[in-house]
Amino acid sequence: MENIMLPSPHKILSIVKETRAEYTFRVAYEGETKHGQFFQLSIPKVGEAPISVSGKGEGYIEFTIRKIGRLTQGIFGLQPGDMLFMRGPYGNAFPIERFKGKDLVVICGGTGMAPVKTLLNHFYDHPEEGRSVHLICGFKDIDCVLFTEEIEKFRGKFHVIPTLDNSSAPGFETGMVTVHIGNIPFDQFEDYNVVIVGPPVMMRFAALECVKRGVPEEKIWVSFERRMSCAVGKCGHCKINETYVCLEGPVFNYSRAKDLLD
Amino acid sequence: MMISKAEFRGRAELYRLLSRLYEREADQALLDSLQSLSLPEDNDDLKQGAAALREYLASAGPDAVEELAVDYAAVFLAAGSAEGAAALPCESVYTSPRRIFMQEAWEQVCRLYAGKGLGKAEGRADLMEDHLALELAFLGWLVENGAVSEQKSFLEDHLLNWLPAFAADVEKYGRTPFYKAVTRIALGFLELERGLLEGLDSGELSMARSFSVRNDRFAPILARLREKYRVFAPKRFPKRGLKGADLIRYGEIDALTDIVYKEKSHLSAKEVFYPVSQTLFRFTGEECTQEEPADEREIILLARPCDLNAVRRLDAIFLRNGQPDLYYARMRERLHLFLLECRETFDNCFCVSMGSNIALDYEAAVRIDDICALIEVKNEAFLPYFEDEVPIDFAPEFVSENRRAARIPDIRREQLAEITALDYWKQFDDRCIGCGGCNTACPTCSCFDTVDVIYHETSRDGERRRVWSGCMLEDFTRTAGGALARKTPGANMRFKVLHKIFDFKLRFGEEHMCVGCGRCVDRCPKEIDYLDAVNGLSDLLAGKEG
Repeated sequence: MENIMLPSPHKILSIVKETRAEYTFRVAYEGETKHGQFFQLSIPKVGEAPISVSGKGEGYIEFTIRKIGRLTQGIFGLQPGDMLFMRGPYGNAFPIERFKGKDLVVICGGTGMAPVKTLLNHFYDHPEEGRSVHLICGFKDIDCVLFTEEIEKFRGKFHVIPTLDNSSAPGFETGMVTVHIGNIPFDQFEDYNVVIVGPPVMMRFAALECVKRGVPEEKIWVSFERRMSCAVGKCGHCKINETYVCLEGPVFNYSRAKDLLD
Repeated sequence: MMISKAEFRGRAELYRLLSRLYEREADQALLDSLQSLSLPEDNDDLKQGAAALREYLASAGPDAVEELAVDYAAVFLAAGSAEGAAALPCESVYTSPRRIFMQEAWEQVCRLYAGKGLGKAEGRADLMEDHLALELAFLGWLVENGAVSEQKSFLEDHLLNWLPAFAADVEKYGRTPFYKAVTRIALGFLELERGLLEGLDSGELSMARSFSVRNDRFAPILARLREKYRVFAPKRFPKRGLKGADLIRYGEIDALTDIVYKEKSHLSAKEVFYPVSQTLFRFTGEECTQEEPADEREIILLARPCDLNAVRRLDAIFLRNGQPDLYYARMRERLHLFLLECRETFDNCFCVSMGSNIALDYEAAVRIDDICALIEVKNEAFLPYFEDEVPIDFAPEFVSENRRAARIPDIRREQLAEITALDYWKQFDDRCIGCGGCNTACPTCSCFDTVDVIYHETSRDGERRRVWSGCMLEDFTRTAGGALARKTPGANMRFKVLHKIFDFKLRFGEEHMCVGCGRCVDRCPKEIDYLDAVNGLSDLLAGKEG
């Protein structure tokens, strides 16, 4: 029987500082991952936490991790060349086949950009597979902005609205992501999907705003961040009613997600 | 394979119940008793019949008794129906060429009954001897008093020869789903019986054997068992409990007298096969090495019916929810479940409400008193240990009544938003201190954390452990980023209650997670009563208060 709790070592290739608190770890990895999936990363001296794949390329994947609290602190003692223990990939993924040939709206807040970034890069690299891409990415303030270079890059092909919650900065709008949803030309789309990822409160209000503007629930997709000690349906931490986020999620259609109440 | 005596008793009871269903019209008491009926579900007829019966009972209105009386009269008595549009429950009707009463089959069963000195009950002269109700009653009697060969030939020659045709007619002429469901159950049960009796007749199956072991003769038996097995049972740990009281938990026993059988254990049996803390693997900076069990011996777990029923719930989580878990699976493979009979109900037990007062899935059953232990052995592998003891006729009995009862609300998935929003849960915000004692005591709580232990502060060598956790702990849903999904003790209480009596069953089917042991009630330092919480919710949803 396969030991589903046993991680395997993967070499850390590089560590890039994104913000004061966030770092991207590039790790040697040969397998396939789907957009929106996550791994259980072993955090030295602490235990495991689920971390989304924020980037991937030939022979590597990336994780963007916040250096806050006791839980993830330990990982920052690691250096390139060290081994990172991990297991995965876990979870379902954004249904990219359903996104093809349609317009795509991505609304994300803070580290919520990490799980959607490979999806965005897919449509950046393969514009022929989609139609327009609208990206609203919100951050608390200018010091919290993640993936600056890639946001710049996305501006080349996507309609990008980067926004800061309460402050202003060159190239950024001001206000929560919800206030910018009105700028999305939903009425001009033939068919489209909306992806919303971020803190629970942000996802709830962004989804409600979309629905208010006439977006059918079935077109909205969200991804849940939950505590997980196993990611394989055993530890119970991620369960919401009869749903195990690790097994059935983390990506849910909003028509189902809206009933996943804590 | 051996079949327990309790299962044999269950067979006779089911024959009697089916007999009653065909003997005369249903009354309210009969319908009520069907509500808590648990049936084998070994074939499609049994499964679908049971499902249809449940569905009918769940939707039955106040007129059900009358409605069923009309159905009974029309289908079984042919009242008001044109000739042939009924299912007359007599064997002669189905086996005689002219489809009439009191033919050859009737003569045969009359002779069989007389041969056993049996006759019709007084006042039931109107029932033909080959009426389905009497044939079922007779077979039920044979189960307890007759030989396997007699049971087998009666089943084949006088029931299965005509029941399928009769069932087809019930299906055709029945007006309510009730008798159609009952008849499918009868058909499915008799098919199951055919298999069982064939197995018994050929010697493939046999009845469990029971023995009486004087307490002073137990030590050498236990010593022999312990060469191959570690034996766990409820045991007393003096002054290790709350406020200096004794703690009773499952532990490895050295003597029969170690077993605490007159009290309920404070903790459940789960710690024997799902340890409180367990090393999963050891690691260095470079690699992980899976931890192997320290003791390869198999385990005998002598546990209460509630705890045995809880094992099935834990199996659902660890073996069937996603891929199976290796650590649990390998422990489970080495586990032999013995039943420790409950002679009485304890405080706060409500196992009867949860249907977990009865456990038949055991390898041996044990009743202990001050003088001797009575043991029913179902797994032949354990016979050699007891064969020199005094053979007796013993089958474990089960508690049939508790002092407390649960009223399980019938929750629909669509009601969850409304239930989640109830102010009802706020009463726990100030009372619950989030100690998780209820989770620890619960035989079905399975949640865990993973914790890394580093051997030296300067090294990366260490081990990962899996440690029990619980949904009532404050940080149970806190993510690495610090966000908390459920923020209040009330929200945690709702989560726990709904998991135990609603969503586990929704996900895995069959049964609720809670087994009604009441240990969480016993354990709570703030005297929060889980059973009151369940019943209060039930009343609230039924509109009885609030």
